[in-house]
Amino acid sequence: MLNTLRYILRETFNSVKRNPWLSMASILTVMVSLVILGFSTFFLINASNLAKTFESELEIAVFLQKNMTVQQIKDLQAKIEQLPGVASVLFISQDQALVEISQILGGDQSNIIADLGGTNPLPDKFTVKVIEAQDVPNVAGQLALPGVNKVRYGQEFIEQLLKFTEWLRWVGIVVIIAFAVASIVLISINIKMNVFSRRREIQIMKLVGASNSFIRWPFFTEGMILGLIGGGLAAIIVGFAYQWLVLYIQATVAFLPVVHNNLIFWQVITGLFLSGMAIGAIGSAISLRKFLQV
Amino acid sequence: MIQLTNVSKIYPNGARALVDITINIGKGEFVFLVGPSGAGKSTLIRLLYREEAPTRGQVVINNKNLVRLKDREVPYHRRNIGVIFQDFKLLPNKTVLENVAFALEVIGVSRREVQRRSREATEMVGLAEKEKSFSHQLSGGEQQRVCVARAIVNNPALLIADEPTGNLDHDTAWGIMDLLKSINKLGTTVIMATHAREIVNKMQKRVIAIESGRMVRDEEKGVYGNYA
Ligand SMILES: Nc1ncnc2c1ncn2[C@@H]1O[C@H](COP(=O)(O)OP(=O)(O)O)[C@@H](O)[C@H]1O
Ligand SMILES: [Mg+2]
Repeated sequence: MLNTLRYILRETFNSVKRNPWLSMASILTVMVSLVILGFSTFFLINASNLAKTFESELEIAVFLQKNMTVQQIKDLQAKIEQLPGVASVLFISQDQALVEISQILGGDQSNIIADLGGTNPLPDKFTVKVIEAQDVPNVAGQLALPGVNKVRYGQEFIEQLLKFTEWLRWVGIVVIIAFAVASIVLISINIKMNVFSRRREIQIMKLVGASNSFIRWPFFTEGMILGLIGGGLAAIIVGFAYQWLVLYIQATVAFLPVVHNNLIFWQVITGLFLSGMAIGAIGSAISLRKFLQV
Repeated sequence: MIQLTNVSKIYPNGARALVDITINIGKGEFVFLVGPSGAGKSTLIRLLYREEAPTRGQVVINNKNLVRLKDREVPYHRRNIGVIFQDFKLLPNKTVLENVAFALEVIGVSRREVQRRSREATEMVGLAEKEKSFSHQLSGGEQQRVCVARAIVNNPALLIADEPTGNLDHDTAWGIMDLLKSINKLGTTVIMATHAREIVNKMQKRVIAIESGRMVRDEEKGVYGNYA
């Protein structure tokens, strides 16, 4: 067993030494594929984070009829809070609304009232937040309660955002699968070429009674080690590049929320490493499946 | 030890290499396989170590029916057989000792055993001094002896040689024959396909003659016959 293991490792090493260009090409293809995979993954994580951030900030504005008593408003707020899917309900009186607007416009409150004809034209309103963004239209439909004048929400914006993130997810998945397949194919071609360049040796091994698995293992580990190195390089490149990018974005476009979470970061990096190994293993398994007849 | 029963071999391209061959060979025998070029000698040998399977008939070695051998059993069958190839089949980037050791390494023998036994075999064929040479630095006869050493290093019960003296001069050829004779004396069954009339006639061993795939003669202490 130990002899076999030693033999496998030595053969792997020899083969890399014998075909340095071929091995380099394998490593580079895996690396490039996984760098793209890594960046797509981080991009996707950030895109969905971005979508979630926006989604969680979506709210429904519920405008109230005039001349409601404080008790009526309280009852209505309690009713809305009871609705399924509602996260929170915030009451904003017409005076508060005026303060908000005057802050935005930068003028004096009394001036604005004067400009508007002497009375505050703004209605009282509730700001309703929902638990799930996709529930917004649903919840909004249930808000046509007595005392409610108008319900407003950014329906189109929500729907487009949801569509976009969904689309982004699918494109990401397709891109990742395409690149994984490409690197598997490339590894398997490389292993095949290795097998081809050593076909004489393999033939002799077979004739003196080497078992098929014995012949296969060095190629298999070779593919795995090449994939592992490629994955390792990709992990290093993606890791450093992402750290740098996070700092850069935080310094320049501070309002853009970037995911800077150690756990997720290391999960992706480890994932790249393991994917390299898996790509190598799958690639060599494919190329070794058929060649050992006789 | 070896029973071929009504064996025929037709290659996929239609070449009828062997036709209805029935042969019995006992343990410890020394057998020459003679016949003109293209008669089917190499094909018969390839059946024995299962590089080819017969189209019809049975090949039984050591009570194992090779026709029913599963693919994964083939390597274990080959470990009982030493083969000396006409084209040597040595690895050019390995030394003499490494080429011999290769046959043991790939069947998972321990390192110390590999060292000991490959040295022993290399000595037996008289190449101890050249054990560190690469095969392309050796003469034809020396390469053939490496091939013999590799074939016997695993102590096989059966040694098959396909024209092992084909490209060698008279003295070198007899050197190889002496080796085969001494291996045979130690109890190994030897089957040798050959063109060498003089060798067959002098050795006085069993001779099986094949012509156009048919067995035409099987004699104890036979002679070569009237082929080119
Ligand atoms: N791999 C092969 N495919 C097709 N025909 C073959 C093959 N090997 C040998 N033959 C044919 O089978 C016949 C016997 O060949 P072979 O066994 O090599 O004869 P010998 O070794 O006696 O010279 C020849 O006609 C040869 O052309
Ligand atoms: Mg021949």
